[in-house]
Amino acid sequence: MRNVYIVSASMIKVDRYFNKSYKELVLDALTKILDEGSVEHIDYTVVSTLLSDSILHQLDLSTVLTQHLGLNPIPSLRVETGESSGLTAIELGYSLIASGKADSVLVVGVEKLTEYPTNIINENYSKILDYEIETIRNISPPDYAALIMKEYMKRYRIKREELTIWPIKMHDNASRNPYAQLRFRVDRDKVLNSITIAEPIKLLDAFPVGDGSAIILLGSERTLRRSNSECMKVTYITSSTSQPIYLRDDILEFTALRKTFKTLQEGSRLDLEEALLEIHDSYSIYAYLILEELGIAPRGKAPNTVDKLNNVNLSGGLKARGHPFGATGIYQVAEAYSILSDRGLGELKYNGKYGLIHSMSGPDYNSRLCLIEKVM
Amino acid sequence: MVTLFELREGVGIVGWGVYIPIWRVRAVEIAKMWGFSEELTRSLWIEEKAVASEDEDTVTMGWYAAKVAIERGGIDPNHIGAIFVGTESKPYAVKPSATIIADALMDSNIKSASDIEFACRAGGEGIRNSIALVASGMTKYALVIGSDTAQANPGDVLELTASSGAAAYVIGPAQESVAVFEGSTVYVTDTPDFWRRDGSPYPQHGEIFTGEPAYFHHIVSAAKLLFKELGLKPSDFDYAVFHQPNGKFPLQVGRMLGFPKEKILPGIVTPWIGNTYNGSSLIGLAKVLEEAKPGSRILVVTFGSGAGSDAFSIIVKEGIEERVKRGPKVIDFLKRKKYVSYGEYAKNRRIITRIR
Repeated sequence: MRNVYIVSASMIKVDRYFNKSYKELVLDALTKILDEGSVEHIDYTVVSTLLSDSILHQLDLSTVLTQHLGLNPIPSLRVETGESSGLTAIELGYSLIASGKADSVLVVGVEKLTEYPTNIINENYSKILDYEIETIRNISPPDYAALIMKEYMKRYRIKREELTIWPIKMHDNASRNPYAQLRFRVDRDKVLNSITIAEPIKLLDAFPVGDGSAIILLGSERTLRRSNSECMKVTYITSSTSQPIYLRDDILEFTALRKTFKTLQEGSRLDLEEALLEIHDSYSIYAYLILEELGIAPRGKAPNTVDKLNNVNLSGGLKARGHPFGATGIYQVAEAYSILSDRGLGELKYNGKYGLIHSMSGPDYNSRLCLIEKVM
Repeated sequence: MVTLFELREGVGIVGWGVYIPIWRVRAVEIAKMWGFSEELTRSLWIEEKAVASEDEDTVTMGWYAAKVAIERGGIDPNHIGAIFVGTESKPYAVKPSATIIADALMDSNIKSASDIEFACRAGGEGIRNSIALVASGMTKYALVIGSDTAQANPGDVLELTASSGAAAYVIGPAQESVAVFEGSTVYVTDTPDFWRRDGSPYPQHGEIFTGEPAYFHHIVSAAKLLFKELGLKPSDFDYAVFHQPNGKFPLQVGRMLGFPKEKILPGIVTPWIGNTYNGSSLIGLAKVLEEAKPGSRILVVTFGSGAGSDAFSIIVKEGIEERVKRGPKVIDFLKRKKYVSYGEYAKNRRIITRIR
């Protein structure tokens, strides 16, 4: 297999763009990456979006987007694997280059959610679960997060207020990320007094609804040689799926992540303590479970370790940077790439070699991990 | 482009009156009914809302407020040459409410009369029209009424606030007025943040879209235009009254414009009576007029979805205290209340459909 590199990355601030269409959001991100001058040639475009069918009324969005941006005749396709679609697009772009099918792939993430009120967004977002079994019974992703949070508090005798540490930390981190949607700090009372989404989950435990577009340019060795930007290697990218919640032996275990992480560890030499981590904290309870599944904290102890973690979600995470579904995975990679780079992301910099990005859909229905590495 | 309504002849407020139904339903009761969390009522700052009784509507409430406005102004109603009713909840889809109210108040048929529809700001448009008619000499007095029995889809977040109430103003020559208009600006765009399609019993809204690009953008734009045209700044005003869909928004928009809370709170009524739509900012203004001292300057900014805002600068004159005493005050209506259950509210607002 050929080596794959991140040649360039760009993103726009996650926000509510009432006066822009999804095409304009992509154009804004694309203009930034083109202005950098690191894009010479594109062989393939992979587009990630979750709700374009239902919210934007657009099928074959990748072709329409290619036409609109004047990228034709470059071939394009769209991927969708629920909330982890963005990282899946990178996985696919990676495969296209590793296999020799392409030398450079533009991976575009876009989601435009502010076209409709949140009840419509939630109704459609809930379709990431099994429609015939779960969604039709009115189960939505935050309901599962609430069940899991209740079980976590019960099993480990953790008080509700102790679980506010994650959103507090994420909002603090996001205040330094110029691309984050929620750039304000919160305290314990603010989290606890925010409205209830699904008992015991509060508004400030959950990701905000927002629009966004992020782009990564992946390239082969050949592209790397021609580029004058700082490139990073995509060392490993892998994924797994799991059982639905109602068939799990233990709802506090994320087996897809476990399997993915095991595969990644076998295929790479990674010291997690030194790596910059971006994890999928759509609801704060998931952050604790992910930290435990990755072995960063013992079972039931993740809330106690959050304070000391200085290498996780410097972006603010889904919680505060935002979660424009299909674009999220690409934001995570773009942020890790920028923070690890010599230039940094605003004032955000991390002195390390590796970046590990985790993305999942629902409560770990599928989990993906991407390891990137600085090329010295 | 003329941005400012520059007054060649002095025009002002001769009289005013309000009406708020006696019944209140607590916001937490509505929240409980539909499974909203209580924090939502606190975050919007809505405690209770006024509920019109089965035999009250936009016309009856508007009539009462207008009657008080005429009495307070001490004028002969037959000298009113124009009557505008700003409402989005007329009892008749086709047939003016203005004629019903006018005939109940006066004998003269020599007047223009019409209903104006622009969501919650139609009353503001009525005031602008009235200023023009009085300033041009086409009429001595004009009567503007903002009255609504606001509809909300049961279980929608709007139901926590949509309420009933009315305000009326007699606009006339400055020499008879106790508060004069210094100037006015208007700002209107096509912004579909809230609407009710023909035949639909309840309005729909774009949720957060009703905030940033609608309420906040229009109010801030109209107010800033007024500051610029009149060469004024927030510190030149003693009071600021904004359209108040809930308790939180007017404080927030005031902060954006640079007004301290103390200048906004006197005109806040929504937390205790709900959003009376066309009555909202006009009841707030009435409350401020009833406590303001001569020489005070008041900023009033309306907002109506769809969307638009009028900004007015009003200066209070001598003699206001005496005129306040001539009729029931806003504070009297705020104190006059009896609570009803969700069921009684649903019956009175005809949310329960009964076939006869």
